Amino acid sequence: MKIRTPISFAKERRATLLAGIIVVQALCALFFIADVIADFRVDDYANNLHLGIEALAALALVGGVVFLMVELRRLLERIKDMDAGLQVARGQMAEVMDAFFEAWGLTQAERDVAIMVLKGLDNEVIAEVRNTAPGTVRAQTAAIYAKSDTQGRAQFVSLFMEELMSGDFAA
Amino acid sequence: MTKLARGRTSACGTPVWDPLVRLIHWSLALTILVNGIITDDESKLHEWVGYMALGLVATRLLWGLVGPRHARFSAFPPSIRGAFRHTWAILRGKSDVHLSHNPLGALMAYNLWATVIVLGVTGYMMTTLTFFGVDWVEEAHEAAFNWLILSVALHVAGVLFESARTGVNLVRAMINGRKHIPPGNDVV
Repeated sequence: MKIRTPISFAKERRATLLAGIIVVQALCALFFIADVIADFRVDDYANNLHLGIEALAALALVGGVVFLMVELRRLLERIKDMDAGLQVARGQMAEVMDAFFEAWGLTQAERDVAIMVLKGLDNEVIAEVRNTAPGTVRAQTAAIYAKSDTQGRAQFVSLFMEELMSGDFAA
Repeated sequence: MTKLARGRTSACGTPVWDPLVRLIHWSLALTILVNGIITDDESKLHEWVGYMALGLVATRLLWGLVGPRHARFSAFPPSIRGAFRHTWAILRGKSDVHLSHNPLGALMAYNLWATVIVLGVTGYMMTTLTFFGVDWVEEAHEAAFNWLILSVALHVAGVLFESARTGVNLVRAMINGRKHIPPGNDVV
């Protein structure tokens, strides 16, 4: 079972990269600031243009650091929103499943088997997990397909896919 | 059934420490380790590693102003009273978990940053003509270093104690950024 989606994983990697760049750039910025201060103390006003350009570079670097920090914060907020949205969707999916099972009048055992079918387990594994004979699971899945009026596993799963893909699912 | 579908939140943990906080934390720990044990005190490398530590703290302080919620100073204001209240809660056996730093941990974080700044500034002063060879500067640098070692030891002990007390693995939280809070804790 995947805990995080590929999209949010990619975003997290991006956030890590951004953090690395921020640290390096901040250290560079501080180096330049220190250099400007040191030059200022040594040169006084001897090399005004050089000092001015250096000061400008230092300022630009500091500005860049702050800008990247704001960017990173936004990226982190987006990751958080996505996780929250995903959780809402998961909760709603659970409600949808409950509603279907209720409407078809599945027994508790059949509900458990149906969930495992939806999670992609095959009959042998389900039998193993539930500590029953494979024949029992075959009977239970047959009952589930009959009650849900589907032809088999693929069509049963696609019922829920349909529900996920239809526009009115996302509240 | 609902439990099956929703149990994943706890398996995933609550994101608390963003990548920048973690990167700065471990980099700073590394600079302290390198300068405390490996580099020669008189060497140029010691100076540069010291400036890096100073830069890391400066970056963290800036992040405390513009960063996300748990990294901000407002999430862990320095508060003596809060620290006392937290200590009292520990003594009474209350298990409240703080998503950001707990009040004692917050004081330690500020203490560590301040000590690194003192070390950096006195270290820089020793390289200047004005303060070169001035006794009190060197003594301050030495004293700050001793204080830093003591603080780091306390920090590590505090982290281990708090992890054992609340069941939240704080070391792992600083590595992957997520706190896995076991049920039965009050999240503050």
